[in-house]
Amino acid sequence: MKKTGFLFDKRFMLHKTSSFHPEIPKRLSAIYQGIEQSGLIPELFLIKGEKAELKWIETVHDKNYIKNFKDACFKSKETFQSPDNQICTDSYETALLAVGGIIKTIDLIMQNNINNAFCAVRPPGHHAEKAKAIGFCYFNNIAIAAKYLQIKWNIKNIGIIDFDVHHGNGTQNIFERDPTVFYYSIHEHPSFAFPGTGREFEYGEEKGYGFTLNSPVLPGQGDSKYMELIKNDMVPGFERFKPEIILVSTGFDAHMDDEMSDIMLSTKCFSWIMEQIIKIADKYSNSRLVSILEGGYCLKRLPELAKNHVSIMINCAKDRIKDKV
Amino acid sequence: MFIKKAMTSKVISIDIETEIIKAHEIMTKNNIRHLPVLDKDNKVIGMVTDRDIRSAMPFNLSKKEKQNIKFKAKDIMTENPYTISSLATIQDALLLIQKNKIGGLPVVDENNKLKGIVSVRDLLSSFINVLGIGEPGTLLGLVLEEKIGQLKKIVDVITEFKISMGSVLVARYQEENKRVVFIYLLTNNVIPLKKKLKVMGYTLIDPISWYI
Repeated sequence: MKKTGFLFDKRFMLHKTSSFHPEIPKRLSAIYQGIEQSGLIPELFLIKGEKAELKWIETVHDKNYIKNFKDACFKSKETFQSPDNQICTDSYETALLAVGGIIKTIDLIMQNNINNAFCAVRPPGHHAEKAKAIGFCYFNNIAIAAKYLQIKWNIKNIGIIDFDVHHGNGTQNIFERDPTVFYYSIHEHPSFAFPGTGREFEYGEEKGYGFTLNSPVLPGQGDSKYMELIKNDMVPGFERFKPEIILVSTGFDAHMDDEMSDIMLSTKCFSWIMEQIIKIADKYSNSRLVSILEGGYCLKRLPELAKNHVSIMINCAKDRIKDKV
Repeated sequence: MFIKKAMTSKVISIDIETEIIKAHEIMTKNNIRHLPVLDKDNKVIGMVTDRDIRSAMPFNLSKKEKQNIKFKAKDIMTENPYTISSLATIQDALLLIQKNKIGGLPVVDENNKLKGIVSVRDLLSSFINVLGIGEPGTLLGLVLEEKIGQLKKIVDVITEFKISMGSVLVARYQEENKRVVFIYLLTNNVIPLKKKLKVMGYTLIDPISWYI
């Protein structure tokens, strides 16, 4: 039986922010502990980070932007482009390690060594635009993953599902003119939450019109609204698009105990969402799925949420074996 | 903000002899809805809108029949339309547009010569700018007592956390002597600020109960 991949590396914690910042290294230790203490590690294919080649970062980001980010880190600047984006000397290298780890994970999936994988990386990526760091994000991990799949593995249709509570403005912006990448995001309504994009009427631009789909949710609407929109927007969207692989921007910050948002999702609902995503991957994408960590800031809840997320991925692989028997 | 900053400077205009079929073509090609009508000295003497044209041109005519309509701008234009100076403010334009139920205003100098045009679309862009929503940010809603100096305390805390503000809106609250303040913060990092405000005794409003 093919295992589920788990990309984790202590070096992802080298990117440090200040004490007032929510995107902190402890998020990753919480996630790791949750998975380890549930005894899931032996069931996982463990993957370490490795430095990505610049050519892959350049498939998404401007050379000058990459250089400026590198310089800011090496010169020990405290922030990059905005006070939100706190950095340290190791931030650039950590971001490269994260992207390289994701690329390695993709290779393992495409070589049929693993079915699916959870990439617990820092820094997150989905807000980062071509030449702009936004909302704690520097390199758009998921966008680079999509480009890598297209260039290296000749994958034509890529589906991206983003359930971080904030809209992935960067990912949308990078692919909004591209009909080969279908981007779906469910998030807190942009009139209330960061970054203020992802409105219902944003469907993509030019050739990419119809290949972006947003489900904004008003504060406090919780599980029932998410379930309704996932059934009515996300599932039919992917039925039409039929992605060859699914990439997931996984954020746990819509949880009711996460102070970053007012959506109020239950732990159970996160599991339900992941089950729906797995069903789509099973139906259209030969079960190929890469989940990449974005937000999620409640240290108390992250262990359980990450454990559930990964168990669903493992159990789906087991269920498939059972079905065949 | 002054009209000069919000107006469109490159204006397409017509003269009184322009046939409406031609005017219609110009509007469609340039995706515009207003055509100022000028005399030979570049002075504004009329305005033709897409609505004026639609009213003069029955919708069910064939292309050939439309070509036969020989109405000219002078036959359908609004003569001596409302105009505005480039040194008037956006507030002036908003009130003028609302009061007279129009969609745009030619911007003129003291001799009534055309300098630009300001439409509802231009004013919307200005409003998006004023609201700050073109930039990434998070909305914070707070209930404050209607006392002098309340907002200052909030702004001081925001400054302490080195957060920039995109906009501040103040509205009436259902309770007397209270105001609700919506601050659009140009950050994704609102947790420490919210905690501090709660410790200071401020009430953060539940956005849904406010809107519904």
